[in-house]
Amino acid sequence: MLKGKNILLTGADGGMGRAMTAAFAKAGANLWVNIVRDNADYCEYAQGLARENGVWIKPMVFDLTDGEAIKAAVMSIRSEKLPIDGLVNNAGILREGMLQAMPIADARLLFEVNFFAPFQLMQYITRLMMRQPNGGAVVNMSSMAAFDGVAGETVYGATKAALAAMSKSLAKELGRFKIRVNCIAPGVTETPLISQMSEEVLNRDRANTYLGRLGRPEDIANMAAFLLSDAASYITGQTIRVDGGRN
Amino acid sequence: MNNTEKYTQAFMDAFSIDAETAKTLKFQQIPAWDSVGHMGLVAQLEEQFGIMMEPDDIVDLNSYDKGREMLASKYGVDFSA
Repeated sequence: MLKGKNILLTGADGGMGRAMTAAFAKAGANLWVNIVRDNADYCEYAQGLARENGVWIKPMVFDLTDGEAIKAAVMSIRSEKLPIDGLVNNAGILREGMLQAMPIADARLLFEVNFFAPFQLMQYITRLMMRQPNGGAVVNMSSMAAFDGVAGETVYGATKAALAAMSKSLAKELGRFKIRVNCIAPGVTETPLISQMSEEVLNRDRANTYLGRLGRPEDIANMAAFLLSDAASYITGQTIRVDGGRN
Repeated sequence: MNNTEKYTQAFMDAFSIDAETAKTLKFQQIPAWDSVGHMGLVAQLEEQFGIMMEPDDIVDLNSYDKGREMLASKYGVDFSA
């Protein structure tokens, strides 16, 4: 599905990121994978996938709150003189709590990682995609919190709503350059992020889906792979919910 | 090709114009230099000089002369030769 495509994936060593690394590699994509700090366990995992699937996977350590580091990473990719077919803004952080009790520094950090880092990466990467005859595809990770609202996730939801809104308008700006921009809004998914949630809440979330289960990282990764692929060549400006059907 | 020639060539390639037209050109002076053409010019300059321009500089790039001055002062492009 992604054979020969070169893709930049952020937040590659988290729960969702690992599943995406696997899904994209198995689909034949070469990957630049962003991690925030050296992670030998993930790098070993990624290199195993690369060997098994005959692709290359290049870890890139850079901090998504550091604008200069983001720019340097893009410059490094550009110096390889390879097409960049896909960008997946997967990295994200969650800070829960009542709005009244949320330090504004936490709110700013949420926007820094969940909105401004994708903003900056899209600025740079889509500029490179514009020069390619076949454009490219961007996939951003939004959240059901952006659309349904989740108590305790007011700012997190706002960052994800902002990302979805930016994606919609950007899709309109870049359609003429054959660049597609889409979002995925996952439901509650079994990643380390949900370790902060009580079993009671998780049981309620399970019961609230038509399918009676939480999402698996592979569910989200498979949708991302599809949106990056040519099979989705007429899909842009959309936010696709991958949530098991929520009541 | 020296850097001045490369710089002029970027304008010529971006807008399909001759060198003389390029050297006095200002933003939106010709139909080709609209907002879309502008990004095409940025692409040409970035490729020619191996740089990545800051968004503020992309906005400020509003003439041949201004771009040349910016590339020299902010991106270390030497136009003395």
